[in-house]
Amino acid sequence: MLIKAILVGLIGVIAILDSRLLGRLNLERPLIGATLTGLVLGDLTTGLMVGATLELVSLGLVNVGAAAPPDMNLGAIIATAFTILTGATPETALTIAIPIAVLGQLLGILLRTLLASLTHRADALVEQGDFEAAKRIHVVWATSLYALSYFIPIFSAIYFGTAVIEGLVGVIPEWLTNGLTVASKILPAYGFALLLNTMMTSKNVVFLLAGFFITAYSGISVTAISIFAVIVAFILADIKFNRPAASAVGAAPIDFEDYDDLDSPDDL
Amino acid sequence: MSNKQKDPNSWKYWKFFWSSWMIQASWNYERQMNMGYMYGMSSILDKIYSKPEDIEKKKEAYNRHLEFFNCTPQTASFIMGLTASMEEQYYEDPDKVDTNAITSVKTSLMGPLSGIGDSFFQGTVRVIAFGLGISLAQQGSILGPILAMIISFVPSFVVTYYGGKIGYNTGNKYLTRLYEGGLMNQLMYITNIIGLMVIGAMIASLIGITTPIAFGETFKLQETLDSIIPDLLPLLSTFLMYFLIKKNVKTGWLLGICIVGGVVLSALGILA
Repeated sequence: MLIKAILVGLIGVIAILDSRLLGRLNLERPLIGATLTGLVLGDLTTGLMVGATLELVSLGLVNVGAAAPPDMNLGAIIATAFTILTGATPETALTIAIPIAVLGQLLGILLRTLLASLTHRADALVEQGDFEAAKRIHVVWATSLYALSYFIPIFSAIYFGTAVIEGLVGVIPEWLTNGLTVASKILPAYGFALLLNTMMTSKNVVFLLAGFFITAYSGISVTAISIFAVIVAFILADIKFNRPAASAVGAAPIDFEDYDDLDSPDDL
Repeated sequence: MSNKQKDPNSWKYWKFFWSSWMIQASWNYERQMNMGYMYGMSSILDKIYSKPEDIEKKKEAYNRHLEFFNCTPQTASFIMGLTASMEEQYYEDPDKVDTNAITSVKTSLMGPLSGIGDSFFQGTVRVIAFGLGISLAQQGSILGPILAMIISFVPSFVVTYYGGKIGYNTGNKYLTRLYEGGLMNQLMYITNIIGLMVIGAMIASLIGITTPIAFGETFKLQETLDSIIPDLLPLLSTFLMYFLIKKNVKTGWLLGICIVGGVVLSALGILA
């Protein structure tokens, strides 16, 4: 169990360092964290299943700017490990993941507040002319703190907590499990709505409906729709931008006002 | 271009590349990516101010880049490249470039580039990558997560590397050209259509809300719904959530509504 706890803890380190050191290549997503956990613990199928479920639930929880959504990555890694180690069903993973995600969110806020004090340390070091030490705060110290903020909770949860969680899962009533399963189907709707909030206007809602109805009636896969979408988008862009005369008949125009507020270079 | 001479500045492009990817390593609530930005500029500043008598100017420069900064990591490299070339010009001719201009370039570009960067990487690339990833993973295929990683990696690498290079070499002119030529609008238009169609498809195929409501043996509501508009409930739930978000209902409440609502509607036998 010690070795398993360390290995899963290291998956957590990979996840958090993805957005810290690799510009968020999306290793820090429930699907990837759960798959890696499944791989390490020798049950890839469960990893994939739990990962797909939790990824779907958290697709709309975007890490943008200062917003700190529930930390589903931490939740996914720990929940996958518990599901595999205790032999629970993938559905129960959700009941474990959500409370952990909320705890992870609080931990994240705490850490980012703490790191604000390190920036004052960096100011002081620059003032003393110790530039190398100021860089080390960014590269070494802050990075290590972020890594530990994932390693410690995951390691302790798995090393000390499996028995406790096993007991808890045993007493969860059936109505709650069923209810949370329904909730896990509503949460993606919320996630998609969050994405649409930034992308959709009354003028381009037709594209959403096109994607929806083609899939709903024909049952073709998301992959197929993506390919069609690329083709449709390029054709419409060609009509709209390269043949100005035809644009009135062709594509629905999109409001770009949000992106035009760039300061002109004359201000420099 | 024909003779393959190595660009003497290529070490700088890689520096912008890696430090943009690393820009969140010390993300904090006070000045967000400030130390990350300072780290990105540091080796260029160390080279410019290598003489011992320049130490005070070097401290000023470091402080300049310890100010508040927040941007999508992949698009931050463009700003790093641009300000690095401005720092070099400033050292050569302090009358030509003013330090306020360096700071104002940073603050004026980080907003629009975050907007574009986040909607492209988080809104479009991630949605497509994981939309495909989830549907394959649900079938138990390891290709799901692998494909999601590859789709995430390629645009991130290209935008970050060339962003820094273009920022350093052609800087502001290039960005203006991108806007004036309408290329940026075209790109946003295309990614927007793809993103929306894929989300539409995912609403239909990935949200499994159904209703167990039935009257007797003969009338099952879900079967009737399926024969008229399949997946109507997922579409309605998404629009309901969209409506609530537009009404500025807080995130915490919405999450609560989803979870408590799910439990209640399931217990009442309305949804399954």
